[in-house]
Amino acid sequence: MPLALAVVLLVLGVTVLVGFAGYLVDRSTAHQERKD
Amino acid sequence: MDLAHLHLLLNHFPTIGTIMGGGLFVLSLITKSDDLKRASLVVLLGISLIAIPTYITGNGAQDAVKSLPGVSKTLIETHEGAALVALGFIEVTGAFAWLGLWQFRRLARVPNWNLAVILVLTAVSLGLMARASNLGGEIRHGEIRAEQGIVAPDGLARTVGSFVTDTRWMWPTCETLHFIGLSLLMGVAFLVDLRVLGVVKGVSFASLHRLLPWAALGFGVNVITGMLFFVGIPGQYIHNTTFYWKMALVMLAGLNAVYFTLLEEPWELGPKEDAPLTAKIAAASAMLLWVGVMYCGSMLPFLGNAF
Repeated sequence: MPLALAVVLLVLGVTVLVGFAGYLVDRSTAHQERKD
Repeated sequence: MDLAHLHLLLNHFPTIGTIMGGGLFVLSLITKSDDLKRASLVVLLGISLIAIPTYITGNGAQDAVKSLPGVSKTLIETHEGAALVALGFIEVTGAFAWLGLWQFRRLARVPNWNLAVILVLTAVSLGLMARASNLGGEIRHGEIRAEQGIVAPDGLARTVGSFVTDTRWMWPTCETLHFIGLSLLMGVAFLVDLRVLGVVKGVSFASLHRLLPWAALGFGVNVITGMLFFVGIPGQYIHNTTFYWKMALVMLAGLNAVYFTLLEEPWELGPKEDAPLTAKIAAASAMLLWVGVMYCGSMLPFLGNAF
């Protein structure tokens, strides 16, 4: 696989994972705040 | 003072600090004391920050002792590998401790799932930290060495380091992610700091406070990628003064973040309200510290001998 493509795919993969983690924290906090 | 001195000065903090932070945390669960819980989380966060320079100065100390009589390369590499694993765990513990502090501010409590995660991670980190410390002590203290000694090195740090330098896509991927993490961190931190300084006054601090986990995630990405760079080519950084300035500024900025995560003063800042002077000083110093971190990071190849 060409270097540029490998780097793009890896960076996108990690960014999606980080984004998902942020989304989960935000969503669970919003849920708790509504409940309180 | 050289790096070996600095390592000797720092290397007791992660183990003793984790005992103190973990002990306070358990005590807070038993006594149901919120103040104690917050204090223990701040201690665990501080220990996770101080563990970074402790690891980094270890490579400097290695340079100083590796050619001394009676010093075993195998023991040094085993200690380095154990320290890397312990560092990984204490950083994750610090991340959940920070999340706990942030949740405390927003929800007035730390959810039970996070309390359980912090408890387990602290216990595991303590065990790993104690092992790394003991192996470190054995390097210069033959009297505490196990009778058999270590025959096969746990060269985890060197294996990871070789993977970083020998795999073509690893370094450019980490570089790109380091910049993405930086953008995430700076974007949120500057937004919060500018609000405290009086920009976009219509927005309450509590609204922006909700964005802080994104900054923490950016910081996490940068700690991981930054440590991979360091483990890859430690010799490139340990003799570079600019790198130590960068680390010192990161520590100070990390402590500064506790003010905005936890304390009452900025939290009470409603829409259209002007922040008190102490909050403005904290915000201005945060901006200066982060700009300093960026300056030192980008100047590594030009000031000193990195790259």
